[in-house]
This record gives sequence, structure tokens and C-alpha cells, in this order.
Amino acid sequence: MCVDSSAKNVYYANVFPNQPNTSFSYLPEVNQVSIQINFRKHIQIQRFRYTIISDNKPLVVNQPINEAQLKDTHAGGDEEIFRSTTLGAFPVKGKIITVLVYSIEKPLDIEKSVLYGKPIPKAEIKALLKRFATDKGVSYSPITDPKERTKLTFTEKDDELTIVKDKSDIDYLYYTSIKDKQSNKIIFESTAWQYGGYVTETNEFSPYLKIDKNIFKKSGDYEIIIQPSSLSRYNMPPKEMEKYTVRYTLAITLDQENYSKRELLIYAVVVALSIGLAFLVILYFIKKRNKKKLLENEQQKNTAKLQLNSIRSQLNPHFMFNALSGIQNLMNKNDIDNANQYLAKFARLTRNVLDDKELISLSQEKKLLDDYLQMEQLRFGFKYEIKHAEGPDLDITEIPAMLLQPFVENAVKHGISKRAADGKITITFARQKNDLVLTVNDNGNGFDTGKKNNGLGLQLSNSRIALLNDIYKENRFTLAIQSSQKGTEISLTLTDWL
Amino acid sequence: MRAVLIDDEISNLENLQALLKKHCPQVTIIATAQNVSDGVNVIEKYLPDLLFLDIQMGDQTGFEVLKLLPTRNFEVIFVTAYDQYGIQAVKFAALDYLLKPVDIEELKDAVNKADRKLATQTASQLDFLLQQLKKPETNASKIALQMQSEIRYVTLSEIVRCEADNTYTHFFLTGNEKILVSKSLKEYADLLRPNGFLRTHQSHLVNPKYVKSWLKEDGGILLLITGEKIPISKPNKETVKKALQQL
Repeated sequence: MCVDSSAKNVYYANVFPNQPNTSFSYLPEVNQVSIQINFRKHIQIQRFRYTIISDNKPLVVNQPINEAQLKDTHAGGDEEIFRSTTLGAFPVKGKIITVLVYSIEKPLDIEKSVLYGKPIPKAEIKALLKRFATDKGVSYSPITDPKERTKLTFTEKDDELTIVKDKSDIDYLYYTSIKDKQSNKIIFESTAWQYGGYVTETNEFSPYLKIDKNIFKKSGDYEIIIQPSSLSRYNMPPKEMEKYTVRYTLAITLDQENYSKRELLIYAVVVALSIGLAFLVILYFIKKRNKKKLLENEQQKNTAKLQLNSIRSQLNPHFMFNALSGIQNLMNKNDIDNANQYLAKFARLTRNVLDDKELISLSQEKKLLDDYLQMEQLRFGFKYEIKHAEGPDLDITEIPAMLLQPFVENAVKHGISKRAADGKITITFARQKNDLVLTVNDNGNGFDTGKKNNGLGLQLSNSRIALLNDIYKENRFTLAIQSSQKGTEISLTLTDWL
Repeated sequence: MRAVLIDDEISNLENLQALLKKHCPQVTIIATAQNVSDGVNVIEKYLPDLLFLDIQMGDQTGFEVLKLLPTRNFEVIFVTAYDQYGIQAVKFAALDYLLKPVDIEELKDAVNKADRKLATQTASQLDFLLQQLKKPETNASKIALQMQSEIRYVTLSEIVRCEADNTYTHFFLTGNEKILVSKSLKEYADLLRPNGFLRTHQSHLVNPKYVKSWLKEDGGILLLITGEKIPISKPNKETVKKALQQL
């Protein structure tokens, strides 16, 4: 190739993907180009044919080499001597001259030379397509004729970006790179245009490139740069290069929101499930523990009740046999009526002791105490009185069975048994706000409340109170004992009982 | 017999008086008392032949009356409503007691027995009783055995075994001595079991100290150091085995 004197810049390239034996010369300012062909010496030139096309119009077709015109030359200053001839001179300004040379033995092995006299057009992106997964496979969402700055959101479903370029005769020339604008690094480059899926209005296949979504590591601006390749290798200055370069900015959002939305949803479901499960497990354990606790409580209560029962029955034998002895005395005195009466009282008392009843009404308790005290009166002459204010309704208010009896027994045994007829016991049922206060008062000699071992009776009473507090956790039982030489008063408060 | 009655309850005194008058004409009630100090006073004043003594009197016990007396030349019949510890001691001393309400037959028996008894013997029994009471419960080392005409005080370690003979009990002591006591084996079993004695059989009570080995013949027999073989009845096997293992 020889160019005329108006040529300022000649850019030459001959490496293109999928385009073997192709050389490309960019001759922007050349008017006329003379095309010379050089053969190595051993080549049988007569087998070669050539075709010259100007734009799409063939000027010479399948022409053999005019061997007569062949001369020996040092083509390009090489030491090797070639056989050369000129195929002719052609106007190239505004035209594309394509020279095809081939051997008739290998007619598909075409040497192709493109002499480009037009300005190389800037590439244009016709469409950007995102590929995303669907239930059936994949589908594409296109953005056609994207602007220079295009917002693009990649969701988790999207996996691929396709860049569709406008169709040109020299697609192979265009070199595409993608630059991460934040780091200024090229993260992708390719010249390997594919043809297939995308068709222009004129039913030509459009070149496209496929880009894996994963090259976009994070959201931000990325630049798609498409420029003619190779020209820069031949020292086209960058400023000049820019004339042929297109830049598209992709504002990419890696949809972490969407991504995390989905993730979040999964997480939320998982978390909710785990929390739910944990909650259920905890609930189960709490329930189990509560059940156990309840059972323990119940058992504790039962044990307490049993203990209470055993204590209750311990209180009585001495009294019982003495009471029987008292009845025997009435019989021996021929006091049949009283013997009957006291025997009945005794029976009633015994029945009460044997009874497992947990609660009895105050009136029942009063009756019991009447019986008991009257039996005791048979043994020791003393007076007694059971007082109750209007407050507590005797028939409705219930108290633990045999609650006061031990205290009354103590009052008899230790309080007034020595005072005989002077002795007096006063029992009071009273209401103080919501508390039921039961007091037993005797005018005996009293005892030292500070002393620890105040007899079995008091010990039992204390353990009774402790046991009652175990059983009736809501209502505290408090026992107060005041004793002086003039007498003893015990008062038992059942808090919030009424 | 001139009798003094001590009981803190008037009705009990009345009752006993009535019963004695009716059923025990040989008894003359010369005085009653309702507490310890009055009791001591009337005894010292009237020097009775027979004392009916309530064990539990309010905060005090009838035993204190006995303690306070320098001499005790009288028969004693204890009367009690319910007093396990006191009665245990009384039994160890082989003294007589009545339970309230008083059974008339038991009363008659007790009075008759007292009538026949020697006061000196009773005095020694009472000494023994007061000694026993000083010791903690179930830690008796001696027991009074009422024989035909005398009282034997036997250390528990002397007793090899007891064997029932109807309502009587044979005591086999160390040195091949044998004593017949007019009380049932059941009573002694109750008394001596807390001291480790083993009821191996309805008719046998054994001091584990003298057990040599357990023979498997006839479903289990205890061989004693003395060479005697004591049968073990089925219901007692387990308890006896356990007790022997713990030794």
C-alpha cells in the first residue's frame, strides 16, 4: 500500500479476534491509495486471484496477477526479495477499499486488507440487557438506547449483563473495556463480539458482549468504554483517540436491599422460627418446671398437712384418757345424765381429731372448743368464755381445723389447771381490717416466753404455725405470745383471711 | 391397807376413791393430794401402806414425790392416762401401774398384789426406778425381774435369751442360770427391743451379744455361744438378718 502525500496519519493493525488474515489501515486524510502486492519468491503467483471492492462496489473481481508486471523488490526495506506488482491506485477518501487475495487452491483462505478512508464511527450501545433467572429458566430485561449515564440495579436474580452494539462493518475493531470509576481499574475487557440473538431493523445481527454480573463487586459508577482497538498501539494520541471513543456510565446498584430483603425475609423467617422454637422449648421447660414446682408445692403442702395431722393427734392422748377418766368418775358417782352428756362431747371431740377435715367454720371451732373446755372443766374447775364480735361471720368464716385447740389446751394445762375455780380462760374471735385475730387468754401464772424449751405444747404450736404458713402461702399466720405472772395471752393472726 | 391418793385432777381422785370403796374394801383412803408438795406432806404425815400415784401432774411428775421422800416404806401403784416414758421406767422396775380410765379388774389385781408384797422389796424397786429415771431414755442397763418371792436386778448384758412359757417368761442368764418371771415374753420384748434384743420367734427373745452364727438348717436357726439353737420364724427373718448385719 502506498498512500499519497496528503496522508498525515496512517494507522495500521492486523490482529483481531476471529478475523484471521485481516489487516486494517485507517487512512483518514488520504485521497488516493496505491495497492501493491508482494509475494515471497517460492510462491506460485499464477494461482492467486484478487478482488478489490470500494465500499460495497467491486472494482476488480477474481483477477489473476499480471505476472509480466512482477518485479523484485525489497518490500518495506526487508533484506528478503519479494516479487511485487501494483494492483492499481484507487481513491480512498470517504471510501472503504477492501482487497481480497486468495489462492485458487484455498479459495476460502482470503487475505483481506481494509483501507479505511472514512472516519471511523463511534460505537453506539443499542441496548443493555440484564439476564435474570425465572422459574422456567432465564429472561432478559432490556434498556434500549441507553443514555450516557444509566442506572442499573442488579438483584440477586440477575446474573449477566449484555451490551449490544450498533452494527458496523468493522465491529471487530471495537474494543470494549469496563472501568470501576471508584478504583479507576479496568475490570473487564473484550473485543470478542458475538452475533446471534440481536437483530437490527435491517435484519442484521448486532454484535454483543456478555458480562458476568459478578465483576461488579459493589455498587457505584462503572464506565463502559468502547473504542477502536489497536489504533492506540500505533500511537494515536489519547486526545485523538477520544474522538473515536464512547463512554457510558453505569450507575450500578448491587441490590443489597433487594438481595437482603430476600435474605432478610429468609433470615427473618429463620430467626422467627428459631425464636419461636426457642420460645416453645423455653415454654416447655418453664411449663415443666412449673409443673414440677407445682407438684413440689403440692407435695410440700401434702407433707405439711400430714405433719400437721400427726402433730394434731399428738396433742391429745393425755387429755383424752383423762377425759375418759372424768366420765368414768361421773358414772361412778351415778351422775348418769352428765356421764351421757360428756361422753357425747368426748365422742364429738374424738371425731374432730380423727376427721381429716382441713377447714372448719368458726362456729364449728367454737363448738369444738366448748366441748373441749367443758371436758377440761370436768377435770379442773375453772371458768371460760368464748367471745366474738360482730365482725367475722361464724358460719361462713373457715379456719384450719383444730387451730386453736392446742393453744387452749396449753392454757388449761399450764395456765389455769393449778388455779382451779379461780382460773379463767377467754377466747376471742375478732376482725382487724382483713385479718382474723384469734386470742386465747388465761389468768394462770404465765411463763417465760424467752425460754426456749417451753414444753412440748408450745413447740408443737410453733411448728404448727410454720406448717400452716407452708400450706397457706397467701395468708401469713403470726403467733404472738404475751405472758406475765397475771396470765398469758396468745394471739394468732390470720392475715388477709377475711 | 391405808392408802394415799395423789392426782392433780379432782375427778380422778373422786373416781379412784369410788372404785376403791366399791371394789377394794381392804383399802382405806386416809388422804388425797393434788400436787407434789401436798403429796409429800400427806405421806410423811400419814405413812400409808399404799400409794396411788399419778405420773403426769401438770408440769410435774409423780416421780418427784418419790424423790422428795427420805424413806419409801409403802407399796406404789402408778396411775397414768398416757405417759410412755414414765411407764417404760416403771416397767423396767417391775412396778405396778394402772391406766386411766381405770379397769376394775386391773385395779383389784394391783391392790391384791400390793397386799401380798413386802414393802422392803418395793423400796428397792423404787430406788431402782429413780436410778433409771436419771438415765436417758432407752439406755437402761439393768432390769428388775419379779420372781416368785424376790426381785432380781439383772444387767442386760447378763441376759442370754428369753423364752416364753405361756404367760410366764424364762430368762436364761450367763452362767447357765435360769429365772422364771410371771410376765409374758411380749412385755419383755417391748421393753428390751430398744436395747437391741432380737425377737427371733414368737417364743424367743435373744441378746445379739450371744449370737455365734446363723445356721441355714430348717430355714434358719441362730446358734448361740452357749451352744443353744434358737429358731427363727419366717416373718422375723429379715429383721433379724438386718439387725445382725449391723452389729
